[in-house]
Amino acid sequence: MRIDAYITEYARKTPQSIALEEGKSSISYSCLDNDINAIASPLMDFNHCRFAILAESGILYVKVLMAVYRSANIAIPLPIEFPKFSLEKILDAAHVNNIIVTDIQYSRFGEDFFERFGTVIVISSNTFGEFLRKKIETEANNPQLQLVLYTSGTTGTPKGVMLSDKNLVANAESIVKVLRITSRDKGALVISPHHAFGNSIINSHLVAGGSVRIGNMNFIDSVFNLIGSDVSIFYGVPSTYRILLRYPDRFKKAFAGVRIAASAGGGMDRDIVKDIRELAPDLEILPMYGQTEATARLAYLPAEDVDEFIDTIGKAIPGVILDVFDSEYRPAKPNITGELVATGDNIMLGYLDDEIATKMKIINGWLHTGDLAQKLPRRYIKLLGRKDDLIKIGDHRINPREIEKNIEENNEVSRVFVVPVQHELMGTAISLMVIPVEGTEIGKLYAFCRKSLPGYLCPREILFIDHLPLSENGKISNRSIIEEYQHVKASV
Amino acid sequence: MEQIKNDIVDYLKANSFMDSNSSLKDNDSLTQNGIIDSIGLLELMDYICEKYSIEIPEDMLTPENFDSLQGITNMITKLAK
Repeated sequence: MRIDAYITEYARKTPQSIALEEGKSSISYSCLDNDINAIASPLMDFNHCRFAILAESGILYVKVLMAVYRSANIAIPLPIEFPKFSLEKILDAAHVNNIIVTDIQYSRFGEDFFERFGTVIVISSNTFGEFLRKKIETEANNPQLQLVLYTSGTTGTPKGVMLSDKNLVANAESIVKVLRITSRDKGALVISPHHAFGNSIINSHLVAGGSVRIGNMNFIDSVFNLIGSDVSIFYGVPSTYRILLRYPDRFKKAFAGVRIAASAGGGMDRDIVKDIRELAPDLEILPMYGQTEATARLAYLPAEDVDEFIDTIGKAIPGVILDVFDSEYRPAKPNITGELVATGDNIMLGYLDDEIATKMKIINGWLHTGDLAQKLPRRYIKLLGRKDDLIKIGDHRINPREIEKNIEENNEVSRVFVVPVQHELMGTAISLMVIPVEGTEIGKLYAFCRKSLPGYLCPREILFIDHLPLSENGKISNRSIIEEYQHVKASV
Repeated sequence: MEQIKNDIVDYLKANSFMDSNSSLKDNDSLTQNGIIDSIGLLELMDYICEKYSIEIPEDMLTPENFDSLQGITNMITKLAK
């Protein structure tokens, strides 16, 4: 059953139940189902084609997404927080001919941006979509493909994770079980719905026949009002909680009626857990772990074990098997470090138009996460860093080597090194160490970063260095870069 | 009032995704135009508190007061009195 078919089912069983809320508006299952049909109807002429969606978070976004599913086409939501330049890179990689865009984003991005598309549909909250152009092309896509989520694309080559109907439903049902979501629950969606975590919040609550209240993290007063409006499950990345905890009184009041505070996107640290415990002793804290390649979730830490096992990712969610493999792809013994692997109905179909990357990621049916891990007693798993150089910045997984290359290629510099540094709210931000050339200007480097990278990748400082940050055996790695940075800072 | 507005524009040009040669209308939405995000807004708030020696009550952290140049300027003028 497709995710949008659950909406139809609830529209029949509980037509008046609220499905989505946003600001002062709300929509029942019955009205939501009708609106999805209206938006989907003109899309029926297309035969399993790729549709980019450029829309801000909100009820309208959910309607468009579900309408693309219902018309049996393929949804490619664009992360609107990315600069234009990064979105263009994603569009180049996605080979997408059709786009559905909200009137707000259409005027923000401007007519020129849309020239590349054969079909452009502009939609607003009072229309069901107006075709500016329509050109139906035949596409050969994986028959099971329903949704493509981009994991990176800020720099380097964007990777589109191909997800099927089976993936989405399987993961939504696992999350429903873990969080015990029912039709009475109202989930808070304040993070981006265009990525795996936000997308999974919508799916799991709609599959359970419950509701989702949609907002954002921009204005603190509005966020706390949203949480206080009968939300029973709140979802955030660790930095979401760091921001909210800056206002302890409001936190205490707003979370008094919340049942679960769930997290994903990065590890919750002991300080966050301690602060939440003090302000909301009855609130169940539920950290989860996952990857876009696994639709969203892979593991969770049961609430009763949070205090003791916060440095682990917990255990597999229902429907998923986790293991740790050695370099020969054999299961490693407990307490021996290997690569975390996963299998289940939520594992992606592959990367869009990239068979080579897919073959490296999914081997004999096991998703190789790239995370180094150890098996602990009671099927708990502990992470011990990455196999590759990827790091988490502001709860986003990024490849520092790609960012360095991107800055080097577009600026007058010799070499650039990305250094992860501590940040009060984001957890980790970046600074840059730069080997300059004659024309290097710090102001221009900052300007480039601001314009070409998303906000969380804006460097906190830029330091000039005069030699490569090599390790003792002559290699450059995250570790050698961090050591050099500490050395430079100590000598200032 | 104009001085406050210019200060904020300078701050946004130096610290946000605003192009130094692009113009910003007084009532343009900072968040919808991608000029600032949630972390950026908190940093802007800290900057304003320090620069104008004011404290911003939490219930004033709303779109009306923080999502446009005009809103921010009005709020500072009100609080700095």
